[in-house]
Parts: sequence; C-alpha cells; structure tokens
Amino acid sequence: MNTAAWPMGVVGDHLLPRTEVPVANRAARGDPLLRDQLSSLQGLLVLSMLMTESEDVRQILHLAATSVPSLGCCHLGGVHLSDSGWQTAAPPYTEPEVRAAVDAQLGLLGVGGGMLAVPNEQWAWAFPLRGLEGSIGHLVVAAPRQPSASEQFLLRVLAQQTGVALVNARLHAKERATAEQLSAANTALAQTVRALERSTAIHDQLTRVAVGGEGQEGIARAVHKLTGYPVAVEDRYGNLRAWAGPDRPEPYPKDPQARREQMLRRALREGRPIREAGRLVAIARPREDVLGVLVLIDPGRSAGEQELVALEHGATVLAMELARLRSLADTELRVRSELVDHLLGGADEEGALALAQTLDYDLEQPHQVLVVEGRGRRRDEEAFFHAVRRAARDVGAGVLLVSRGRAVVLLSRAKAPFDRLRCAVLAELGGGTCRMGVGSVCERPGDFPRSFREAQFALKMQVVAKGAAQVVEFERLGVYRLLSEVQDTVGIERFVRSWLGALLDYDSRKRSDLVATLTEYLERGGSYDNAAQSLSVHRNTLKYRLQRIREISGHDLSCPDTRFNLQLATRAWQTLIGLRGRCCGSGR
Amino acid sequence: MALLHEELRHEELGDEEYGVTHTLELGIPGLQLTEGDHICAFYRGPGERDEILIPYLRAGLQTGDKCICVVDAVDPRQVLAALGSESDVDRWIGDTQLELRASTDAYLRSGRFCTEEMLAFWENFVGSAVVGRFRFARSVGEMTWALRQVPGVEELVGYESELNRFLPRYPQVILCLYDLERFSGEIIIDLLKTHPRVLLGSMVLDNPNYLEPDEFLAVRSRTMNATRP
Repeated sequence: MNTAAWPMGVVGDHLLPRTEVPVANRAARGDPLLRDQLSSLQGLLVLSMLMTESEDVRQILHLAATSVPSLGCCHLGGVHLSDSGWQTAAPPYTEPEVRAAVDAQLGLLGVGGGMLAVPNEQWAWAFPLRGLEGSIGHLVVAAPRQPSASEQFLLRVLAQQTGVALVNARLHAKERATAEQLSAANTALAQTVRALERSTAIHDQLTRVAVGGEGQEGIARAVHKLTGYPVAVEDRYGNLRAWAGPDRPEPYPKDPQARREQMLRRALREGRPIREAGRLVAIARPREDVLGVLVLIDPGRSAGEQELVALEHGATVLAMELARLRSLADTELRVRSELVDHLLGGADEEGALALAQTLDYDLEQPHQVLVVEGRGRRRDEEAFFHAVRRAARDVGAGVLLVSRGRAVVLLSRAKAPFDRLRCAVLAELGGGTCRMGVGSVCERPGDFPRSFREAQFALKMQVVAKGAAQVVEFERLGVYRLLSEVQDTVGIERFVRSWLGALLDYDSRKRSDLVATLTEYLERGGSYDNAAQSLSVHRNTLKYRLQRIREISGHDLSCPDTRFNLQLATRAWQTLIGLRGRCCGSGR
Repeated sequence: MALLHEELRHEELGDEEYGVTHTLELGIPGLQLTEGDHICAFYRGPGERDEILIPYLRAGLQTGDKCICVVDAVDPRQVLAALGSESDVDRWIGDTQLELRASTDAYLRSGRFCTEEMLAFWENFVGSAVVGRFRFARSVGEMTWALRQVPGVEELVGYESELNRFLPRYPQVILCLYDLERFSGEIIIDLLKTHPRVLLGSMVLDNPNYLEPDEFLAVRSRTMNATRP
C-alpha cells in the first residue's frame, strides 16, 4: 500500500474518520477562494502524479492542456517544444500569423519564459517546461485579463510538472528502447547459442554414427531423427541404398539418367543442398566424385536452416562412409584381381588357395572362365568393368574378375546363367553390345589357364565367323574345338593350303574376299540366296565370284567330297585365325 | 424523511453510539470507508475499474448493505457474473439488496442529464432502502456517460457538488468512478474540488479544502464572470 506526502489533507491507506475537519466545522474552514486555490493546487499535484506515471507524451500534453481552464480565467495557446515545435496533442493557435508571431518571441525568451504579445489576446505568457537539463519548451497560456498571482503560480506549477513528466516520459522511452535493444541482442544471442548447441548436437550425433560403424542406414536414421523428415540415401544413379522414416515409396522412383546427371551437376555447381521436386538433395563427395546422395523428403518445403545444417553434416558423414567403403572395395578388388592373375597365369595352387582364403572365397568349387567384350554408348573401360562386376554379382555368377585391355575376364561359377549375365551387363551399360567367350569347366585351380584360353578362342571365333554378339561356349564349338586342340598346327596349315592356297594367294594379291565368299556359301549349305543375303551382295555377284573360285582353285563345287573338304578347310582356316589371335586380352 | 432517519437512528443506537462516525470496509484490503463518504475513484481502463467496483459491491452485499450500482461502459450482466454465483445474484436481486442499472436507466433516463432528477433517483433508492430493512446504503456510479454529447452533461461538476449536500441525510457512501484515460485535466481538477476524498491507485487522499456546494457554485460563477472580456 502506497503512502505519500500530501500537503493539505490526511494521507494514507485508510479512510479514517475525518476528525481533522469535522462536518460541523466545515462552514468555518475559511475563505472559499483560498480553498478553491488550495483545491486547485491539490488537483495539480494529482495531475502531476498522473502525468509522471504516464509514459505517453500525448497523454501528458492532453492532461496539461485540458487543465489550463480550470486553473483560472485562462485558455491554452499551445505547447511548443524546443526540438519538435508545436504539439498537436495540445491544440495550438491555428492562425499562421499568430503562430509566427509567437514563434519569433519564444526564440528570444530566456529560460524563465515571459510575457508574449499575441494578436487578439489581452494577456499571454510563455511558462517554461523545465526538465533536469533546463527548459525543453513552453506552455503558452492566454487570458482576457491578467490572472491573479495565485493563478499564475498554479500555471507555473502546471508547466513545471508537465516539463518533468515529459522529460520523465522521454527518459523512460529511451530506457525502454535501450531495454528493447538489449532484449533483441539477448534474443539474437540466445538464438545463436541455440543454433550452435543444435549444430553441436547434430555434429555429435552424426559423429557417433560414423564412429559406431552404423553405415548408410545409421546415417539415414540419424538425419531422420534430427530433422523429423523422411530421409533417403541414394547412389549416384538414383538407386535407393537406405531409407529412414515413414512412407517409403514402393517401388522407389528413379529419374532418367540424363535428368539425374543434370541434377548432380547443378548440386555440384551450387556447392550446397538444392531443392529438386519436393526433395532437399545434398551430395556426398569427398572431392569431385559423387559417391552418393542424401535426400530429405520435404514436399511442403518446410525444412529450415537447422534441417539444412543436419543434411549437410549428414552428407559429409555419408561421404566419409562411402569413401571408406570404396576404399575397402578397391582393396578387395585389387586382391581379387591379384588372385585372378595368379590363376590365369598358372601360378602354384597353394599360393592361389591361400590368397582365396584371405578373401574367404571357395576356389575349389567348379568354375568356368569368361572373357567378356563389349561397350556401352560411350567407350569407358572402367565403366564396362564395373558393369560386368555388378551384373556378375547380381546374377550370382561370381566376384573374381580382372580387366584385360578392352575385355573383362571373369572366373564364374560353373554353369552360371551366362545369357542372363550378358543381358544384365547390357542393362548396366544402358545398351550397346556385349559378347562372351566361355571356357570349359575348371575342377582345380590348375585348370584356369586352359579354360581362359578356351574362352579367348570362343570369343575370337565369334569375331572371325562374323557372328552376332552372343555367348559362345568353347564346349559347343564342334569342329572348331577339335581343330583348336590339335597341338601341332603345321598339319592343319598344310591341309588349308592344299585346298585354299590358290584362293588365299589370290585374295592376298588382289585384296579380294573369295575365301570368305566360299566360306559363307558352304556354311549356308550351298544356297545362293542365303549366302548372297549374308554377304550382302547381289545373287549374280555371288555367282560370278563362285565362278572365279572354280576357275582359280580348280575345284568342282558340286562334288560332295570336294565340298566337305573345302568346308573343313575354311573352318580350319578360321580356327587358325582364331588361334593366332588368341593373344587378345593378354595384356592389361 | 431525513429527520425521520435521524430519529430512527438515534433510537436504534442509543445515546452513546449516536453521533459517533462508523467505519466500514471498502472491499479493497486495508482501505476503509467512513459513513457519509463521497469518494472520487480514479482508474485507468476497465481492468482497474473492476478491481475497485467488484470488491466494493461484494463487501456491501456480504455486510448486508443496500447496494446501488449504475454502470455505463460495462454490460450489467458482466458485473453480475463477476459478483458471485448465479444463486447468490438471484438472491441479492430477489431481496432487492442489489440494484443494478445502466446509465441510460439512471443518469440519462430522460435522454438528458438533469441534476434534480438524478438526486431524486438517489433519494428514491437510498431513502426507501434505509427507511426499510437496510441499515446502510452503498452506491456507485460509472461516470463515463458524461463524455457523451448529451444535454445536461455540463452540470456534471455541479451535480457532484450537490451530492455532498445529499450524503449526510442517510447512512450511506457514494463512489464515483472516473476513467483517467478518458476525462480531461479540467474535469479532474474540478472533481477534486467537489470530492472530499479521492481514491487514486491504491492510495486514498483527503481533500480538506474541497468546496461545499454553495461555495463551489459561487466560486465558479465568479471565475466565469472574470473570464468574460
């Protein structure tokens, strides 16, 4: 309960019986005019309290201005503040010439104010509005006659209290502004601290995931937990590798390759997470390589700065994880490649078996060697190698493989689905061509060199025979296989020369294709039409060439015995070419 | 009627107590009223108004006083809801202990303000109450109606002065509620001249120099004459 000094009455927090001024004595309380002035002064003090309590300059001015008529025979001329001129809250003179006259006089008045000469006013006075640091302006009052001294005293008190209240309100406003600034600074600081704390929490959580070896699933889970959004980890091709959160799409959508590459290029260019079709995408890359992609599923575009920070941290940890996995994979590939080289080179079995054991690989199961050649839409030997690697893994053909020039040599488990493997390679390449040569079964590590030679030969025979790209198994090569197994090829060469020598010499001399023409004719069972179609020549051209073949070779193509020997000779000739070209893929 | 009241009172209290001024609770802890008080209560906004109005009425209702309340800026139903439970309010109104009026049914019931009419209003309600079964009457009026542009509002300060003449006639107190955020400085100073006591915030101020009705009217008349050029 407040108590305050009150100069002319009982002050306090109790409405006590008014023993000081008994009702019966009220008539004898003295001159009414004096008590009117004392009451006015009391009213002024109440007003002063109200103005001092107020923080609103307009309200202070309104109270002061409206009090003037009750303090005597006066009316308000206006309130003029040194720094902001006439105040509309205390309506000043409206006539411009009167205002100008008063303005000019106020500038000349001292701190104590003084008399003003105002048109149409008998008496006017500027009472100073005093603050702690002197006058801040004037309260201008006018009257039809000069007010009494006591009335002027009341007006002076009113001006004095108004000045104090105005200064008080200004100081308060200034303090409030300072407090607001401090509060804003504190808020900003608190926000920064919260952001830092959250950033630290994000960093800690993801670091724990990285150190804990929780893999891509762990990273997705951590980012989901930190952000509340569903999270996907994709490889660079858009295949889903991990998912955390609700509403996992089935099947997982995958962009066309061109669009995917375009998105990756944009993300790399911007160097920070980008928005792409309702997703926030961050690239996991230790350097310029894209190892993977971390995705925040955010169709409502509501993710904020904190979610971006979590995503970026997550992408960094994912990059580390993927780099580690790649390093492991590279090491494993290198060891596998070493083992394959050992096996194909016919190294000692014990060493090969020991190496296989370090890879936890069962080398003693039956294998077949595959030589795979092909290309995607663009020539990229590394991409081709990985396409074969993934396809072999996916169809369960095997994991031991090595790159040899433009070919890939795979030690496949025996009787694997080779045609499916070929289709899988083409699918990985996104089109192109792929041919395979398959060696016979290896029961022991020492069998791999033989199976490798056979695979090479089978692949070569496809080329020599100008057949379509396909899977060719050595064991299904028939007479070619028989011829290829002959140790001494001199006899074969002699046989070929005896039947085709004249034609081979002619082709060599004239750069013609008579042997190839004869081969195709015989392989097509002597059908002009089929052979012409296969050779892509006119039927008459074929007939002419066959006529030339009869003339040069001196053979009667209508004799069955001659035809048999000639066909055997052409196949032997192809076999020799295949054997001579077996060096394909012999170098890395 | 005033004489009758004094006689009845003398009979009721006896020689010893008659003539001794009694105090009663205002309703705000620590603040007390004295019989015959005419208090000008200043407040800022509806919240502060209710902090004065509701405890003042509640204290009177609990003591058994006749309570007469005239409100202007607030719906009378809100006041009833704040005073107590529905059953209590029904009882107070049924017993005629509580009279609650809107300003248009009191100060402005004839469409204008008239000092005589309003004094007759109080005479009717207070007089009949204390002559009847109530020992004491406490009245309260929310004065914001005087801010409207209606005929007769210029009589406000004179009316407040005349109330000082009415108050001693019955065992009663009257509380006049003025919103500081809406009334001008001139009215505030004039109100201080016509109210013997002022409630401002949590402080009660006595004004021993307030003017009796005749004095106030005389001084006012003199001032107005002096203002004329």
